[in-house]
Amino acid sequence: MNDLFAAYKPLFDITLLSCGLAFSQYVVLRAGVESFATAAFAAIGAYFAAILVTKWGAAAPVAVLAACALGAVAGGLLSIPLARLRSVFQAIATIAFVQIVVSLILYAEPVTGGALGINGIPQLVGTLGLLLYLAIVVALMTVINRSGIGRAFDALRQDETVAVALGISVIKYHALAFILSGAIAGAGGGMLALNTFSIHAEQFGFPLLVAALAAVVLGGRTSVLGPIVGAALLAILPEIARPLAEQRLLVYGLILIVIIIYLPRGIVDTLAARWIAWRAVRQTPSVVLGSADDQPVH
Amino acid sequence: MTSLFIDRVSKKFGGVTAVSDLSMTIAPRGITGLIGPNGAGKTTVVNLITGMLKVSSGTIRMQERDITEDAPQAIARSGISRTFQNIRLLKDASVLDNVAVGFHMHERTSLAANLLGFPSVWREKKAFRERAHAMLQRFDLERYADYPAGGLSYGHQRRVEMMRALAMSPTILLLDEPVAGMNDVEADALGVMFRQLADEGLGILLIEHNMRFVMSLCDVVYVIAFGKLIADGSAQDVCSRPAVIDAYLGA
Repeated sequence: MNDLFAAYKPLFDITLLSCGLAFSQYVVLRAGVESFATAAFAAIGAYFAAILVTKWGAAAPVAVLAACALGAVAGGLLSIPLARLRSVFQAIATIAFVQIVVSLILYAEPVTGGALGINGIPQLVGTLGLLLYLAIVVALMTVINRSGIGRAFDALRQDETVAVALGISVIKYHALAFILSGAIAGAGGGMLALNTFSIHAEQFGFPLLVAALAAVVLGGRTSVLGPIVGAALLAILPEIARPLAEQRLLVYGLILIVIIIYLPRGIVDTLAARWIAWRAVRQTPSVVLGSADDQPVH
Repeated sequence: MTSLFIDRVSKKFGGVTAVSDLSMTIAPRGITGLIGPNGAGKTTVVNLITGMLKVSSGTIRMQERDITEDAPQAIARSGISRTFQNIRLLKDASVLDNVAVGFHMHERTSLAANLLGFPSVWREKKAFRERAHAMLQRFDLERYADYPAGGLSYGHQRRVEMMRALAMSPTILLLDEPVAGMNDVEADALGVMFRQLADEGLGILLIEHNMRFVMSLCDVVYVIAFGKLIADGSAQDVCSRPAVIDAYLGA
């Protein structure tokens, strides 16, 4: 049993990290912000933590907290120029931000090691540390979802015009979403650097962007369970498809497409919506049976 | 008591003048009607008042306070709430949550308290939900409290939207065609409700096509066509004017 766990420990660690980064993507989408900057925040956190540890000999908690803070600052700053942008324009701007951060890391060779990255980082964060990180993120998300912030996020996501008419400040809550996204990904990136021995710029580019987004799309973007299910599935799928060797990526892609077609709001959200609708109909049958005369007359 | 004053407001979209030199007063404790043919600029007026659109010229005031240049959420906070011509509910959320979100501007807990989940946040949430339940009871929708709002019938969705607007405890309520698509019995039931709210002190602007409904309910009626005011006065008086019959009723 111990051997089995040891063999899968790296996979388990990666899954925990993916879950955390998926929450960074989740929190912006939940607030109706089309930001894909998670990968950039993770890169910022990872490099900051790695540099603090390797060059300054900082302790792991200090490095991770610093990475979290820098991620939050980056998120807050990014929200200012992006406040006027929406939908695809916002998305493109955040993708450009990811490219800029990756390029800057490549150029700043004396500090970041350029294309070679930073190697030989001591492994200061283990499975327990990652579990603690994910537990804090999940607790934070759960509190937010149930509080007034969750209500404001829900309104903003579903209909910004309505949210504004109710007196909800779009700028304030969008900035908050960016800051949370930056803090979660910054800490996650820092944890990643202190868990995987080495980091390099390319791993924070498009692949991470897609991985974080796919986890939320697959799992669901409103319930807290969504990103966990999505990230876990994405981590396990390639392992399951491993015997298919050459066709592995093809099968992986196909499974994603099938899930997105048949569970369009993500696995958890779609099932939850069906459950709520079923329960509501069962409790109040008159809603469906007795409302014909309430329909508009055309 | 606070009145809403619209003073010589114009709105141009490029070369098109949607609203031209319009002046109106929406008084508390009353129902003010705004009627006009399709495309006359009625919804534009609501969007100008709520700050969704910026005026080209003129001023809008809440009693003494100039709100012309205020941001939409600031205007909402000054006591103006609205419903939409096409119902805009948060379809995934329950009926109760749709009403509860209307209490947003009455939140007193800080952002930090909300992030950390202080007990005050849950107390406030509980209080909002209780108030939302009370409103649902008053408007006879209590049994749908947990039902997803998007699944309700059309008439009920309109009521939920109205309750959300009322949850803001506004001084001025703008209703954009609230009984469109309803039969007379349903419309009259809502009319009774509007009258009660007005008697309690609310100032209501009612935009409507249903002339019978407007006549039976409004204290003052403004008629606009092509963005211009063509008549104003009591409902009976306005209907007999040749310009109104020409532009609207006679068509």
